[in-house]
Amino acid sequence: MGFFIQLLTDPVGFYNAHELLVAQCGVNALLAISIWLTLYAGQLALATAGFMAVGAYTSVLLAIHQHTSLVAGTVSGCALAAVIAALIGLPVLRLRGVFLAIATIGFGEALRFGVILNWPLTGEGQGLTNLGANPTGGILPVWISVAALAYLGWRITRTRLGQAWAAIREDELAAAASAIDVRAHKLVAFVLSAVIAAYAGALDAHLNFFVDPTEYGFDRTVQVLVFAVLGGIGSVAGPIVGAVALTALPEAARWASDYRDVLYGAILMVVVVFRPQGLIARRRQTRRPDGLWPRLRSRLGLAATRAQ
Amino acid sequence: MLTGQELLDGIFIGSIYALFALGYTLVFGVLGIINLAHSAVFMLGAVFAYSLVALHGVEFWLAAPLAIAGAGLLGAFIEFAALRPLRRRNAPPIAALISTLGFAIACVGLIEQADGSGPLGWLWRDGANSVSFPAGTVPQTTYRLAGLTVPAPKLAILVISIVLWLALGRLVLRTQPGRAMRAVAENPRASALLGIDVDRVILLTVVGSSALAGLAGILFGVAIGDVSPYIGRDQIELRGLAVIVLGGMGNIPGTILGGYILGVIEVLALVLFGSGAHAGISFAILFLVLVVRPHGLLGTRAVERV
Amino acid sequence: MASPLLELSELRQYFGGVHALDGVSLSIETGQVFGLIGPNGAGKTTLVNVLTGHARGGSGLVRIAGTDVAGKPPHLVASAGVARTFQGVRLYHELSAIANIIAGMHRQRMHDIGRELFAPLGRVRRARTARHAQALGLLELVGLPDEVADRPAATLAYGQQRRVEIARALALQPRLLILDEPTAGMNPLEKREIGRLLSRLSEGGLTILLIEHDMPLVMSVCSRVAVLDFGRKIADGEPQAVARDQKVLDAYLGTETSCGSASEDDTTQAEGATSSTAAAITTGARPATSQTRPGRGLRASDLHVHYGAVHAVRSVSLAVDEGEIVTLIGANGAGKSTLLATLSGVLRPSSGAATFDGLDLTRAKPARIVAHGIAHVPEGRQILGRLTVRENLELGGYTRGGSRRLAADITRLEERFPILAERRSMPAMTLSGGEQQVLAIARALIARPRLLLLDEPSLGLAPILAESVFGLIAELHRSGLTILLVEQNAHRALSLAQRGYVVETGRIAFSGSAVELQANPEVERAYLGSDPRL
Repeated sequence: MGFFIQLLTDPVGFYNAHELLVAQCGVNALLAISIWLTLYAGQLALATAGFMAVGAYTSVLLAIHQHTSLVAGTVSGCALAAVIAALIGLPVLRLRGVFLAIATIGFGEALRFGVILNWPLTGEGQGLTNLGANPTGGILPVWISVAALAYLGWRITRTRLGQAWAAIREDELAAAASAIDVRAHKLVAFVLSAVIAAYAGALDAHLNFFVDPTEYGFDRTVQVLVFAVLGGIGSVAGPIVGAVALTALPEAARWASDYRDVLYGAILMVVVVFRPQGLIARRRQTRRPDGLWPRLRSRLGLAATRAQ
Repeated sequence: MLTGQELLDGIFIGSIYALFALGYTLVFGVLGIINLAHSAVFMLGAVFAYSLVALHGVEFWLAAPLAIAGAGLLGAFIEFAALRPLRRRNAPPIAALISTLGFAIACVGLIEQADGSGPLGWLWRDGANSVSFPAGTVPQTTYRLAGLTVPAPKLAILVISIVLWLALGRLVLRTQPGRAMRAVAENPRASALLGIDVDRVILLTVVGSSALAGLAGILFGVAIGDVSPYIGRDQIELRGLAVIVLGGMGNIPGTILGGYILGVIEVLALVLFGSGAHAGISFAILFLVLVVRPHGLLGTRAVERV
Repeated sequence: MASPLLELSELRQYFGGVHALDGVSLSIETGQVFGLIGPNGAGKTTLVNVLTGHARGGSGLVRIAGTDVAGKPPHLVASAGVARTFQGVRLYHELSAIANIIAGMHRQRMHDIGRELFAPLGRVRRARTARHAQALGLLELVGLPDEVADRPAATLAYGQQRRVEIARALALQPRLLILDEPTAGMNPLEKREIGRLLSRLSEGGLTILLIEHDMPLVMSVCSRVAVLDFGRKIADGEPQAVARDQKVLDAYLGTETSCGSASEDDTTQAEGATSSTAAAITTGARPATSQTRPGRGLRASDLHVHYGAVHAVRSVSLAVDEGEIVTLIGANGAGKSTLLATLSGVLRPSSGAATFDGLDLTRAKPARIVAHGIAHVPEGRQILGRLTVRENLELGGYTRGGSRRLAADITRLEERFPILAERRSMPAMTLSGGEQQVLAIARALIARPRLLLLDEPSLGLAPILAESVFGLIAELHRSGLTILLVEQNAHRALSLAQRGYVVETGRIAFSGSAVELQANPEVERAYLGSDPRL
């Protein structure tokens, strides 16, 4: 357990030895916040890695070919992600539950195979080399962003918008009857989430000398989903804690070396069984007294509309 | 367009997709969840069969059923360890996604270690990460039908998938256990009141679905000649999702149909666009189907009554 | 004269293969309390759904205060000042009661997200406190105590949930409040409170559209009533006049003497045929005698059942002897259904004993209990909608195994209830409410029970259908079946049963013969109210 000992006794030394890890935790925290937004509004949207790629590739390509600054490149990446999210959001957000999940997965993978891997501009399978990268300089901006988004995330749950999202998550039809424009609210969550993911992607790309297309597949999104759900989606703190814990875990578990994945998988199974509401539970979370499956299943819209 | 041979190849690979996706469909129908451990069982079925055949010299005709049984047992393990505890605690469906995912990650990690070195070093000798069934595992006779070359193993795959589809259809629609499954799928509480052992129905569904995954894995390994820790995750998982979406979630004939259609479309894409983009084609299709017709080809539109 | 607040004209809606609405027109004046009644499946909820935009794709005019809203999405209709509750309560289950109500205030809140995000915390907190106070006021208005405010909506009793839903609708500050069966599942005391609430709201200027099956409530509160049947309006006028209209009596209300002779298929299904057929089915019991046989039967002592965090059943002891018909009455949320579920083995008690004819019900699996002779018809019927009628019946015999006698029994039941034969291959969800109730009972009979547990068989049924179901229950009892009947309709249940228990917040408050209970003034005040039919 040298990892934790060093963390507690020699934080500066720890930081120096694990700078990249700290940066990575930050990026993952941003991604987790991105997916949290849509989950909070009751949507299981699994396109995070896709939008991350949009942000990463846009900012790096602009830096390489147009010599734009990091800031301009990041903003462009976010803008592009917003546009794409608005375009695909309109038809896709009509879908419920697992259908939405699959559609967004499809979008992400189609983006990866169709655009990234087969377009010479994006370097195809080889990825891009980003000579302007700054692996350690990016850490501060990343964590400042995390702090800012955490604050905003906390605030937004208390606004009319945030509470409308909570209502939509619980019951869309009842929300509509309370004059909530369900479609518009879902779109806002989706677009905001895409922008944050793109932002994280741009920052992440700037931390590495090499943009690797295999980083932006379905696996990555699943990883981010696990961060959020394990951490608890009741508040913005959950995904952040989940991201940090699960990103650091493989490092902390170095002693398990080759069996890290086995340990990771086992931990997922155990945590989700013994604490399904996540590590950071909502303030007033209580177990539902009713074991009625149909209503439970319809909670996240999963299996609410099953074709037969 | 496609030559007859290419079309046939599409149908053969489509049979495997269909068999795999059937497992997804059964579990989704009865439990309402997507079992992400399904692709791991697919991989493990292939790996079990391979190790029996290549490392222990067992005849394929014995090894295959043994591996399928093993896959079924794995299903039981998944139900007891990853699914039942969640139901007991009234966890939301997303929890099942995560626990089955955890299982899949652990499995891949475990099998990865079976390389030449470590204590599990019996599978991938010489540090290879992918193996093939030894030549001669299955008879390689080929038939010539209507000017097409039809290898016996691939023909067998097609026949197996059709037989299984018919058998499963009959089971689900006309037998009491099948009715019990559909009852549990619709309303577990009312089913319990009728005296149906809901837990047992679910266990049998998951075991059956896993056996199908194992079978699909074995057939994949034999037909494609690729056995590795990653065949579940990289090759089949998302294609399985594309199939059930295309065919209609929880709909058995739809799943079969969806499998064949996807197989043919992939071959078409391969011919038209080359091997780079053709994988992306299935996802594009997935996306389009969901936007235009979310209930798939054979699913019925489900309307939520207010 | 001012133009009407709500105008519906020639509404047509095609739904699930039928004309759910076939040219319905009506208008509601400002300040009216307008009642909408009719049999199940008549189109009342569909009408509301069309009105509020939850159902699209039909034709016709919908005008609110002169503005055309037909075909608009629900949130726009709500913005025009129309609030509603739902037939099956749709609360935000994980949110607290007060959070539900605050969520209903969406329309009234400040629209500026920028200001909200960056406003100083002090101001935000003050605004929250103000909203909170406002929501507490609404909670009080609907008659709920403050302590309910912070509890998750899912943990509230059914009657309380309905009231929270009304409060949430009121939070919209609507011009028109639409209530879809708001008192279903409430006891007469609660119903009277709701009636008073509606009158108060109406006096305050609110226009109300009320869908209800409870006739006394409709008569006392509404100034005008319309009746729907098979998607058409068959009457529209003052409540007294409508209640005497022959068409309405035939379709919906029935009369004391003519229940069963009034036309429709549903009622003849549940009545009529000889009791010998029923006896042939329920051969687990001795037929045609009203003598009870004490000693065998259901015995429960000191049962405690916890349902999640709620102590739903407290120290309940009861007995049902073979051949008896015993009723459990009490408000919803009192624990009656929990008790029945425990007796069928679906729930387990935390302590106490329950046996039936020697079998320990607290340990046996549900399948074993069914095989031993207890069949349970659950609340809300719970038929398997996607399976066919025939398949539902076949599953009723799940614990019986062997096929030939099962097939014979199914045939006999189809003879007794022709609707089951007619709709044999149709998905059960296409049956009407009354037909589904018949199917649920028939399905339970297939298991050849000796004891039948009936949970709220008349819930949600129009009076005429409820009557025929009670007639069926009486017939089953005459043929020898032991029955434990849980009913909201205490009056009717006590006139049917020999003995009864009154359940209040999980305990047995009163017990005795039906006559004794009917004569007990406390029981009468709380549970008996007035006759359900005028």
